[in-house]
Amino acid sequence: MSDINEVIRKKPWIGWSIFLVSMVTVFVLGLFAASIMERRTEALVAYTPAKPIPDFEPRLKVWGENFPREYVTYLKTQETNFVTKYNGNDVKDALEEDPLMVVLWAGYLFSRDYNRPRGHLYAIEDIRKTLRTGAPKDAHDGPQPNTCWSCKSPDVVRLMQQMGPMEFYKGKWASKGHEVVNNIGCLDCHDPKTMNLTITRPALVEAFQRQGVDITKATHAEKRSLVCAQCHVEYYFKGEDKYLTFPWDKGITVEDIEKYYDSINFVDWTHALSRAPMLKAQHPEYETWKMGIHSRRGVSCADCHMPYISEGGIKFTDHHITTPLKTINRSCQVCHRESEEELKQNVYTQQDRVMELRMKAEESLAKAHIEAKLAWEKGALEAEMKPVLTLIRHAGWRWDFAVASHGASFHASTEMSRVLGTSIDKSGKARVILARILAKHGVSEEVTMPDLSTKAKAQKFIGLDMNALKAEKDIFLNEMVPKWDEQAKIREEKY
Amino acid sequence: MDKTTVFHRLYSAGLSIIREYPLLIATLAGVVLGLLLIIIHVSNFFSYLSDRPETCMNCHIMGTQYATWMHSAHREVTTCNDCHVPQDNIVKKYMFKAMDGLRHSYVFTLRAEPQAIMIKKQGERAVSDNCKRCHELLFLSPALKNENLYNVDTSEGRLCWHCHRETPHGSLRSLSSNPYARVPTTESMIPKWLVDTLKKEQAKQSNRK
Repeated sequence: MSDINEVIRKKPWIGWSIFLVSMVTVFVLGLFAASIMERRTEALVAYTPAKPIPDFEPRLKVWGENFPREYVTYLKTQETNFVTKYNGNDVKDALEEDPLMVVLWAGYLFSRDYNRPRGHLYAIEDIRKTLRTGAPKDAHDGPQPNTCWSCKSPDVVRLMQQMGPMEFYKGKWASKGHEVVNNIGCLDCHDPKTMNLTITRPALVEAFQRQGVDITKATHAEKRSLVCAQCHVEYYFKGEDKYLTFPWDKGITVEDIEKYYDSINFVDWTHALSRAPMLKAQHPEYETWKMGIHSRRGVSCADCHMPYISEGGIKFTDHHITTPLKTINRSCQVCHRESEEELKQNVYTQQDRVMELRMKAEESLAKAHIEAKLAWEKGALEAEMKPVLTLIRHAGWRWDFAVASHGASFHASTEMSRVLGTSIDKSGKARVILARILAKHGVSEEVTMPDLSTKAKAQKFIGLDMNALKAEKDIFLNEMVPKWDEQAKIREEKY
Repeated sequence: MDKTTVFHRLYSAGLSIIREYPLLIATLAGVVLGLLLIIIHVSNFFSYLSDRPETCMNCHIMGTQYATWMHSAHREVTTCNDCHVPQDNIVKKYMFKAMDGLRHSYVFTLRAEPQAIMIKKQGERAVSDNCKRCHELLFLSPALKNENLYNVDTSEGRLCWHCHRETPHGSLRSLSSNPYARVPTTESMIPKWLVDTLKKEQAKQSNRK
């Protein structure tokens, strides 16, 4: 065994080689590690906004500077130029189209005013203008609580984070008019640092928590529906606090939610004609989408309503959220091979069929309400009427559930047909009992129906003074609303 | 001096270095090993043993490929590896992964990636085999007799995607065609402020009761 020092002394190149090999190895490994780190940082930078967006920034424009394509397409939600067979994006009076709804909602604010839905960028304008929010004279006046603002604006995220949901919901709707001024925007669904999809509304998180469902591990595809589910769901205002709550504790089918509402004796309003304790379905888009085949096959909301678009060699998500009937090529034909016309007709065929049942359900339900009114007038007793009112409550709820979500006739057409079928069944049963009650109290012939052919006639029949309501609203819009905007402008200048 | 003697002398020289300078050698070996560990850590080395599409996104230049797959119907049934790595036997699979991975890491490190990434021959063979693996029934048609099918070695015939050009990655493939391709994020979509707010709220409500 020779001594190494001796070897090196004799042949210095061996020593130098050892030195060089170690140096090169360490150098290359270090370089490699640095390169990996560098490229990882690159990935982070690639998706980080060039112009930093402050936390809780509600203004669309500030975000838009970083993401011009997404911003410009989102601005298109202001368009009012597209009409489908049953809906579209322009203003249209839904009560004028279907005056029976006035009677079905008698005693409830929806009988005053109900329009076709418009784009996200009309959220604030439309909630201010609708007669359903009344005509508050000051911050503590009006029919609605602050909870009504919950889905209308990224300002809500800013406020919730400051004061917590409980405090936010408190008080009358008019008290936060100056705070909530920006239309639904980026902050509602995106994290300002990473642009990741994010949930900003506590009600959705709480609903899943109560069900024991863990959404913190949602996949990317699920996230693309969950952000929509923050708002496009059935909800109610719980208790004195008007705490925004989703009624999903027993499940999300029409029967599950009905059972939930029955178990807590929740009543949206007492019907002005039949005195039935009614439920109003809001817009269960997420629930009805869940009941349909597209959801079953893993298609998320954004896949059809915000399809991919190529522009000048760049691909991005179209932020013009609207009916896929406007983007059949990018929404449907990505999977389906049929022609645009064929696909459109397929949608309409499903909608036509549901629509037919819907009209039958409305007619039967309206008659039940009017016959119940006559029964009360003829001296029917509470005990006699109780089963009738429960049947009317459930029939009304089921009809509303199928109709209130505008897309449900397509999202889950067979389920909606079934739901409307059960509504017709229940209102029919109510009318059989009503016929007996009426006969007992001396009415043996058919109850004559009023003329409900127009919105005006229907509103007159249920006793609404529309001129007075509109006059009040005009005062509110001309006097209070400009003050809100002024206050908001002063606040936003300080951002 | 014959070869054995050279080897033997180097070997014994090594041994005597270790005996003579154990501290120096331990330090040197530690540096090299430590650097290797750093590389294993920063490169998410162990993720490469899995089949998760997120692994392919370790290199952000795959953003376009990930995003287009995410927007296609194939996302429901396939991961990247289901198509791009041989699936007929496990040895072949990991050999292919290792070979491909080595090439990728060298291209990526040298920044030699092309603006539009094109598939290589071995890749074509793997993808083609995997198309057939799932869409087996489509090949029962007499119109698709074997001689019409692509032969990777002779470059004759047709590959599935010579006609199905947009399946599933679409027609825009340049590195810059998806500037905001969403990289899959595994973290929760409930932001911290909301978690904190809800905790406070729930505490308040239970106090009330």
